[in-house]
Amino acid sequence: MKGYHDIGGDKAGVIPKEELPWLYWEKKVEAIRNLLGDGTRRIIALDEMRRGFESFGQDKYDNLSFYRRRLEAMIDILIEKEIITQAELDAAIGEKKRVWASELKNSSKI
Amino acid sequence: MSKNHEHTHNEHEPIVVEDDAGNLEAQIIIDALQDVLMANGLLTAPEVTKQIEVMEAKGVHLGAKIVAKAWKDPDYKARLLENGKSCIQEIGIPVGEAQIIVVENTSQVHNLITCTLCSCYPRSILGQPPSWYISKAYRARSVREPRRVLAEFGLELSLDIQLIVHDSNADMRYLVLPQAPENIDDIDMKTAETLVTRDHLIGVRR
Amino acid sequence: MKRRFDIGDNVCVRSIDKPGHVRIPFYIRGKLGTILQYCGRYLNPEDLAVGKTSGPGVDLYRVEFVQNTLWDQPDNQPQDKLVIEIYDHWLTQTNTLVKSRAEV
Repeated sequence: MKGYHDIGGDKAGVIPKEELPWLYWEKKVEAIRNLLGDGTRRIIALDEMRRGFESFGQDKYDNLSFYRRRLEAMIDILIEKEIITQAELDAAIGEKKRVWASELKNSSKI
Repeated sequence: MSKNHEHTHNEHEPIVVEDDAGNLEAQIIIDALQDVLMANGLLTAPEVTKQIEVMEAKGVHLGAKIVAKAWKDPDYKARLLENGKSCIQEIGIPVGEAQIIVVENTSQVHNLITCTLCSCYPRSILGQPPSWYISKAYRARSVREPRRVLAEFGLELSLDIQLIVHDSNADMRYLVLPQAPENIDDIDMKTAETLVTRDHLIGVRR
Repeated sequence: MKRRFDIGDNVCVRSIDKPGHVRIPFYIRGKLGTILQYCGRYLNPEDLAVGKTSGPGVDLYRVEFVQNTLWDQPDNQPQDKLVIEIYDHWLTQTNTLVKSRAEV
């Protein structure tokens, strides 16, 4: 079966030529993937991450942005390989959200 | 294009971008992931910062350096077309990819680079690809109707020119060597470099 | 080990429905092309995708196709080509000459 990522030759609309900025979180996704795949670490191969976003479902693939797809796939593979656990990631996300919520509250007072 | 845009047609959404909430959420997740990886001793914060600096230092200026040198030095050009990676490294540009295939535009040939399966790009030279290169519209259409795609970029390619599309699907990465300007012998290397744009190196400009 | 194909050989991309991560897009499967360049041996992405990072590697070729044999798209000119990389295990030898749609 043709994968949902395998779109060469498909019909598609006009190419959007606006140049979008490369955001800091997007750079971080790339930086961390590069580090995890480098010669000393060899934790995630590029093709493993590709397998991640090619198999996590078409809804996710179609609705997530390019770098978000890569982020989600990287997390899936890290959990699959038992490099990290979902629980420790969830705990860290919870902590970050608390920090952000208080940051946002403080900034709205200014 | 909003990420939740509903579409009833069978065409691909040209490009999906995060809204503000999506960007904030992604930022939180990648920050959290970095914390977990650091706690597990797999990387350090300075390594991440350094890697971002390395990626930010790439760009069209490096591609322009390669092209201008090839325009001014026929021997270098011949070797560059033979073995892209070693010739690019020779002028001080580190190359992470397995090989860089440099494809030459001539009066009779035009080359266009794409990646239909994901968004492969000579990142160690040019950095991140432009957003249109990673769009589904470009990935889907660049192989089937490349002349129409070029026309959308303002390039009406003469019908007698041979158009060669390169789908970067595996281990090679590609760089277009545009045609040298006619006055190449009268201009210096620095001036020649200013004539090269990123779009020339992908092939949506000629 | 001697490689199977030389530059100029006519080849056919295998039309198989292999599950898992592969780097051979559907649009090129079953198509006839010509070996343009030998790229060397690389680890098979189908193995790398499942964490197998060692092994002998597979031969990789750049293969050239006539655009008019791939698509029914009048804008493409008879001389227009598409070049894509194909791993050895996705290729079969063929004596069939590559014809464009107009000639078939």
